This record gives sequence, C-alpha cells and structure tokens, in this order.
Amino acid sequence: MADTSDVQAMLKKLSDGYAAQLPEKLGQIEQAWSQLPADHRDEEGLQTLHRMVHSLTGSGKTFGFALLSDVARTLEEYLKQIGQAKTAPDEEQRKRIQVLLSELQQVAMHREASDLAGWTESARTGQKAVSLNRIFVVEDDSALAELLKVQLSYFGYEVSVFGTLEDFRLAMQHNPDAVVLMDVTFPESEQGGIETMKEIQPGRDIPVPVIFLTAHDEFASRLEAVRAGGIAYLNKPVNIGSLIDKLDALTSNLPPAPYRILIVDDSEALTTYYAAVLEQAGMTVKTVNNPLEVMTPLLEFTPDLILIDIYMLGCNGMELAKVIRQLDAFVSIPIVFLSAESNLDKQLFAMGLGADDFLTKPIQPQHLVSSVSSRVRRSLKLRSFMVRDSLTGLLNHTAIKDQLDREVAQTKRRGTPLSFAMVDIDHFKQVNDTYGHPAGDRVIKSLSRLLKQRLRETDMVGRYGGEEFAVILSNTDGATAVKVLDAIRQDFSQLCHLAEGKEFSTTFSCGVADVAYFGDATKLCDAADKALYKAKHAGRNQVALAEAPVVTGTDFV
Amino acid sequence: MADKLTRILYVEDEPDIQTVARLALETLGGFTVEICSSGSEALDRAPGFQPQFILLDVMMPGMDGPTTLGKLRELPQFASTPVIFMTAKVQPSEVAGYRAIGAVDVIPKPFDPMTLSVQVQAIWERCHG
Repeated sequence: MADTSDVQAMLKKLSDGYAAQLPEKLGQIEQAWSQLPADHRDEEGLQTLHRMVHSLTGSGKTFGFALLSDVARTLEEYLKQIGQAKTAPDEEQRKRIQVLLSELQQVAMHREASDLAGWTESARTGQKAVSLNRIFVVEDDSALAELLKVQLSYFGYEVSVFGTLEDFRLAMQHNPDAVVLMDVTFPESEQGGIETMKEIQPGRDIPVPVIFLTAHDEFASRLEAVRAGGIAYLNKPVNIGSLIDKLDALTSNLPPAPYRILIVDDSEALTTYYAAVLEQAGMTVKTVNNPLEVMTPLLEFTPDLILIDIYMLGCNGMELAKVIRQLDAFVSIPIVFLSAESNLDKQLFAMGLGADDFLTKPIQPQHLVSSVSSRVRRSLKLRSFMVRDSLTGLLNHTAIKDQLDREVAQTKRRGTPLSFAMVDIDHFKQVNDTYGHPAGDRVIKSLSRLLKQRLRETDMVGRYGGEEFAVILSNTDGATAVKVLDAIRQDFSQLCHLAEGKEFSTTFSCGVADVAYFGDATKLCDAADKALYKAKHAGRNQVALAEAPVVTGTDFV
Repeated sequence: MADKLTRILYVEDEPDIQTVARLALETLGGFTVEICSSGSEALDRAPGFQPQFILLDVMMPGMDGPTTLGKLRELPQFASTPVIFMTAKVQPSEVAGYRAIGAVDVIPKPFDPMTLSVQVQAIWERCHG
C-alpha cells in the first residue's frame, strides 16, 4: 500500500486538474441552460442540463469542493422537480435556476484545503492563545519573588511563584499557558534559567513568552536569552513600571480580537460560503438569512462590519442598510454590499444609501477577505482615534462625557443606581519635576491599568485630563462606589515606581457622586468635582462622597 | 472466513471519478480494479475479469446502474456477485429500492477518496461475515 503522503500528493494533483476543468464545465452548463427554449419544453435539453449538474453533485466534494456538491444537488433536485411538470419552465422557475447557476459559479471558487490536505496538515492545530493574566515567577530569591507577586497582583495578574527550576518544569508540564518571568542565575547553574527555557521551548506551537531577569547585563547572556525565546531582558532591581510596559506590549503583540462580521444574504449556500472564507481568515462570523430578523443579531453580536446582499426577498439590501444607518450605534459601521450588479450607476446609487463598498459576485475568496479586513481595520483604527486617549488607551475626555450622558439617561429610564467618580493623582507635578516626564507617564499608565483591571467590564474609565481620570460605575450606589475606589486607592499607594534607580510611590484623591441626588450628567460631574476638591482639601489620599444637596426653602418658590 | 477481496469491477462514466477511484482503491486500498465506462462495456468485460465485487454508478447515459445489474444477473457466473451502487441520491426510500433489486449496499457520492477503500472493505466483510 502506498504511503498516505504520496496519495495526498496524487489527490492534490487530481483535485488541481478538476479545479482547472471546472470553469469549462460550468460554461457548458450555462450554455446548455441558455439554449433551452423559453416557449416550449425541450426534453432532451433539460436532460442534458440535468446530467451535467448531476455530475457536479457527485464529484465536487470528492475533489475538495463540498459546497459545489451542495449547490449542485439543490439545482439538480429543482431541475428534477421541473422535469416532472412536463411544461417549459415558467418565468419564476427560470429566475430560480438562474440564481442557483450563479451560486454554482460562486462556490466553484471555494476549495476546501482541509478536505484533501487534511491528513498531512492535521498536526497544525489551532493556535491557542496564552492566557496573559497568568504569570509564573521563577526566582530563587524569595523576597524578590514575593515583591513581584504582590506588585503584579495589584494589576490584576494571577501570579504563581516557583523557587526552584524543578518545580517550574513540573508546572509547565501541566499548565503551560502563562507568561514566564525567569531569573537567569540559579544555585545549580550560572545560566540555569535560560537553559531551562531552552529545554522547554522546542516542540511548542507558539513559544512560551518569557521575560528574563538578571543581575548581570552581558551581551552573551542577552543573546542566549533571545535564543531561549526571551522577549525581554530586565536588569535587577526590577522596575515594575517597565515590567508592566513589557507585559502590555506583549498583550498588543498577540493577535487582536477577531473581527466580527455579520452577513445578511437570503441564500444559505452563499452565506455558508462567505462565512467559511472569512472564518478561515480568522474572523468571527454570524449569518442571517432572513433580512427581517436582522435586529437581534445586530444588537447582540455587535459586528465590526456588515455584508449585505442587495437582492433579497422581503427587504432589499439598500432598504436594510438605510434602516441600520438610522440606529445611532451603527451610524459609522462599515456596510459592504454583495451583488451580481456590475452597473456602476446602480452601485453608486447604493453607496448613496449608506454602503461603503460594493463587491460584485462571484467574489474571489482572497478579494473578499482583503476587502473586508482592510475596511474593518481602518474603521476600528479611526474609531479608536476618535474615542481613545493615546497614552493609556482609555476613553478620552469627550468620549467619557458622551458615555456619561448616555448612561445617565439610561439609568433614569430603568431606575437603576449609578455613580460617577473623579480621580486625581496627588502632587503629580512633583513626580514629573523630580523623576522626569517618562516616569510621570508610567505612573499615569499604571493607574489607568489598575483602574481597568480592578473595575468591572461594565464600568467605564476615561482619562479626563493630564493626571485626572473619570469613572462611571453602573448599577452602583455612592456608598458602594466609595468602597470600591477606596480599595483601589490603598493598592495604588502601595505600588512601587522606579525612576533613575530610586523607588517612589504616589497616591490619589477621589470624589464620588451618586446620580440619585444629582439628576443630570452636568450636575453629577460638578458634584464629583466638588467632592474631589473636598478630598484634596482634607489632606489627599482619600475618597470623598458628594453630599446630597440640602433642600432649602427657595427651591420651592 | 471469506476469500480475501482483491478484484473489483467499477462501472462509472465520469473520467474524473474513474481516476480518483482508481487511486483510492488501487493505490490506497491495494485492490485490483477494472474500470468500465458504461454498462455495456461492463457486460463485455466482466466475464474476462472475474470480479469478486462490483461497484455500479446509478446514473449513467445509455444503460443505467440498475439495468446493468439486471443484465449482469442474467449471466450465470454473476448471479450472486455482490454489487454496491454508487449514487448521489441517498434518500432512505431510494436506498431501500436499490437493496430490493439486489444491491448489498449504497455508497453515497461524492465519496471521500481517503476512506473509500475502507468503506468497500467493510461492506465486503459484512456480506461475507
């Protein structure tokens, strides 16, 4: 018996041959179809057509064109049904056949790599992302290990400490998804940390991200560290700020969250096809076959881009785009039309109705992927410029204020609690003056990170100004908000910052206001600001709650 | 224990499928395969090849699979040779129909070339079990 890889190679060749012949076969089918007379029944012509389609049904999947088989089967069954009627196909039937034929053209481009190449490529399993919240500290100096553990845990990291290389090796066998902070020197070997990583790295799909810590900064040792998969090499004493920066950079180096694409097309075969193409490119796809049911998936799935077929029953793509554009949350979402329409005027008309792009069917898979991903990338980038602060990645001043308006309005409708907090770093000017602006920036980043890590996902954090932050805590009353922020305040005051070899720590003050006493966003903002002032005035490093306004007689006049 | 399956006659009109079937059954499965492009060719060549197992495509121009089966059965040496139908139509009622006219099983098309020989072998063992 032959080696399976030989067979794979032969099958691949056959599949290539089949693929090369497909356009001609489809052309013959189109021709047989166009030669069928419209006014009377041509038994022989119908049978020829049926046979040709049947042949695709029975062969497509064998050569890696599974969708082709599926669409051909649908068409074949439809032809069979018409064949039983004993009359020439009417207008409606002709249209349906035409649609199925164009679907055939489309899915003929879709060859599943996995079907034929599956055996040889199955070893390449899906890459599993490393859990970035877990950190393994491997350090024989227990005091330093403890310090790292405490400091990193303030930032929401889950830290495990290993005092010996042996313990670490054992842990890696069971639970390898972590970022490793590895000391270079161990009692048993001058470069034990690097050697251990070199043993562990081979055979992994993605190398374990490792940051080396060392007391000896030598080039040779740095080189070895790189060879062991080191992504950073930090000198002791460890600067927590730069360590956090490295960890942040690591996060952004990993692939971003997959793009979310919503496809609205009433042809199930085509949505399956488009979804398969986009999913192969790593995107997350949701499909809707009935345009009238688009609202729920739209709101729940919150896509980054919407692909809409122009011609659908019940509601055409242009109407649908208009409806979607009228929703505030989707004013700027990229919408791309799919259509067999190649008439430029009609395309431009559709663009006027809210489409960003027009893809003409049949669409080459690579074209679909690149067109969709470049639109999403640009749209997300633009959005982030509009609403994000560049240093911290938090919502900027405008965005957090807009958000507050929305949240306050929603709170009033629902009658749920909400609090707003203003946070300001104490004596920040002194930090900048004493340690320099880069150190000041790191303090800002560490506070922003701490806030993000410690608050819930439903809470919103913004950078309000230089050293000032704003926090919206939904479903939280004033007293609870004070507790939460006070815990963060205590941890922040324990953080060690390092600049020019000197350690220092800073504190913040905070003012909290509860929406129950301050009815609109402006009043709420003012109240939180006044409470912050009160906290500063009372000696800083504390959280103050805005008191309910005293109702005076004049209020009733 | 039944004889080891070695000789298979495959009747199929599509050249593409013929090639991939030969690869799947000969190269991968290690069988000796005779391929015929039509029912009438099969009737001509079956007596010389003496197949142990016959795979028949259902839908072929000229003589279709079931007709070919009927004619084969008229030849005394193929009165009981097991036959498998290969077809894209796999509704249960149709499968039952093929069984009723004497097929031992039905292999749905499109088939997977990597597993075809295993499927055939399994059916062979079942009908000689």
